[in-house]
Amino acid sequence: MGLPAAILFGLFYFVPFIANLRYSLTKWDRITDPEFVGIRNFVNLLTNDDLFYKVLGNNLRFTFLVVLFQTLFSLIFALFLVKNTRANIALRTLFFFPTILSSVSVGMIWLFMYDPNFGAVNLFFTKLGLEGFALNWLGSEGSALYAIAFTQVWFHTGQMMVIYIAGLQQIPQELYESASMDGATRWQQFKHVTWPMSIPTTIVVMAYTTIQSFRAFDLIFSMTQGGPNNSSNIFAVLIYQTVFSELRIGYAATQSIFFIIVLVLVTVLQRKFLNSRYEK
Amino acid sequence: MKHKMNARAFKALIAAVFAVSATVVPISQSFAAGESLGKKCTTEGVMTGTKSTSLICTESNGKLTWQRVKLASGNGRPVANLTPPKGEIEFWHYRVELADQRALVKIINDFEAKYPGTKIKQVVRDTTTYNNTARVAILANPKAALFATSRGAIFDQFAKSDMMLDLSNQRYVKQNVVAKGLTAGQYEGKQLGIPYQYLFNNPIVNTEIWKKEKWTTPKNLSGWVAWCKDAKAKGYTPLAWPGATRGQAAQISNSALMNSASSYAELAGNLADLNSGKIDLTSKWFQGVADIYVKLRDAGCFPANATGVTEAAAYNLFATGKSPILPIGTFAMSSIIALNPDLNGKMELMSMILTDGKVVAEGIMNNTYTLSVNKNSSTRDQKIANAFLSYLLTGKVAEIYANETLQHVNVLDVEYKNVNLLNTVSFQAKNTMLAPRFLLLNAAVSDLTQDALIQIVGGKDPDVVLPDFSRQIKQKLQG
Repeated sequence: MGLPAAILFGLFYFVPFIANLRYSLTKWDRITDPEFVGIRNFVNLLTNDDLFYKVLGNNLRFTFLVVLFQTLFSLIFALFLVKNTRANIALRTLFFFPTILSSVSVGMIWLFMYDPNFGAVNLFFTKLGLEGFALNWLGSEGSALYAIAFTQVWFHTGQMMVIYIAGLQQIPQELYESASMDGATRWQQFKHVTWPMSIPTTIVVMAYTTIQSFRAFDLIFSMTQGGPNNSSNIFAVLIYQTVFSELRIGYAATQSIFFIIVLVLVTVLQRKFLNSRYEK
Repeated sequence: MKHKMNARAFKALIAAVFAVSATVVPISQSFAAGESLGKKCTTEGVMTGTKSTSLICTESNGKLTWQRVKLASGNGRPVANLTPPKGEIEFWHYRVELADQRALVKIINDFEAKYPGTKIKQVVRDTTTYNNTARVAILANPKAALFATSRGAIFDQFAKSDMMLDLSNQRYVKQNVVAKGLTAGQYEGKQLGIPYQYLFNNPIVNTEIWKKEKWTTPKNLSGWVAWCKDAKAKGYTPLAWPGATRGQAAQISNSALMNSASSYAELAGNLADLNSGKIDLTSKWFQGVADIYVKLRDAGCFPANATGVTEAAAYNLFATGKSPILPIGTFAMSSIIALNPDLNGKMELMSMILTDGKVVAEGIMNNTYTLSVNKNSSTRDQKIANAFLSYLLTGKVAEIYANETLQHVNVLDVEYKNVNLLNTVSFQAKNTMLAPRFLLLNAAVSDLTQDALIQIVGGKDPDVVLPDFSRQIKQKLQG
């Protein structure tokens, strides 16, 4: 039974992974033959590549912000909309709507929204008399990453909200009734019933959001292409640029190995943290 | 007197450069007296068009006279297209624009109707996807017998892959194409591609605003600085510059580069050295280029929040009359007309001389959308591709493409009918330079160089930006 799965896994995951390892030891431009360079790419990446560390920092910041706010907002929306009333179903549809759009469309919409001179965001702040908040959102190194992170949260919160609603609806009603009879307040019910019972869902939501935010290639590429000055660049975009724009395949293979290591590390740490909470 | 002689020598140089092969075939003075043109030959360098019968006003024996120019590399009139065998090939390119599609569909339909049994199937990808994936896809697909590349790094990558047939000996190449425009398709002495478009990467000006404000074209960098201040004071955004879209933001760098060295050869050498890491952005030459940006920035030439202005927003600034100049190129005109049809016929090109010193060139031209025949295709498919390419390179067919897409073409005997093309074709008589920014063949070096300039427009100090980006370039070249 497991053989077909093993073959498919080997073909589509293991073989490319080994090939990637092999390419990471070469200098190759896809035109001439690969040249074996040993661990030079690894040494270069770790000791002589400021961009790598900048992108690593961006990626961790982006992931942290997106995971934090996307999880928080999706949980809050789910708590408010968990009951199957007509109004709630309509609102769920509304919140879920961005998820069905393509990432590039979302990127283009927000590109216009963030336009510093014509965009709706700055118009909104200006009309409210908050000119200080009317920024050069995507054109400034200080704000580009945060502006895209906000878009990413807007884009996927509805999707995570649906997962939370499914999880919250599985919590036995009797627990709330018991807590209520014991005189627990709404907050106490949340703290002692809802939150502990929704940790398994949170683990799924956070793991999924983490991977999603590491893969936010299309959104970033359509909005800033990683700019300005790589301030919104993340690993997925960097690897793409190294392969397709710079034709440095061996180096990109090395970058992707580090990308996987970082992704695995973040996911493992996250799961450890949440599992310890769950066990408590 | 000496000054007068120098000016004349300079004008003669303009004429010589434009006359492509620098071979001017004199015809009888009586024929070229000017009557047939309805105007006298009074300005040296002025041309009547890019036809095989076009005339150029040039000096001969101390007098200005009309002479016939030889624009093609070979002798003789343009030739008819080759006849294709029956069969089907794929034509890969990146012109997804509607106007291009309208033109190409018509051209292909006409070709297929003329040669029943021969089919040309278009495979079209957007530029980014095409540049990133087409080379590998075409290498593995011999049916892709005809394909396009853009000038610079992409053409270079394709050429290095040894996938383009040498077209040097084709008659239609020698006789139908403007010889000067062939340079961009040459690699190691072989004609591996035929650039189809003849673009001008110069600022487009809104002539109505220009006339209303009674402005004259600034003659040098000081003039531009003064003009920007004046335009800004009158409430305009002087240059609708899209700092958020690197590719289009970079167009103005051609103008900044073109007079940054004492000759084209020196400039090409500097760019080659930058490309290889021999010099970096802190070199005296590049500091001079950066200083142009600083002066323009400080004069208020660029839009507010310039680094966040997308290409669409820049088009909007220009199309709505908020900005009198779009510093991009002729290829933006059709988009502008789509945004504001009232601007049809009210746009012209403008020289952007950004130096107070020696003027090497007055403007920028570029030959791109280079068409090549696949070396790995079957002989029959190569014949079809060759025949279709020769068909595209006949005047009447190129005319369809030019007038529909609002692009000048690199083909002889084309009758431009569109008012915007006619308004800008006079630029062909100027001393233009093949867009120098594409001489940076290393994409990482090119991107980082442009990013550094964008950062300077964004308000950063060149003393900080140039060493920072030089370090980034060095690391890329070492990696």
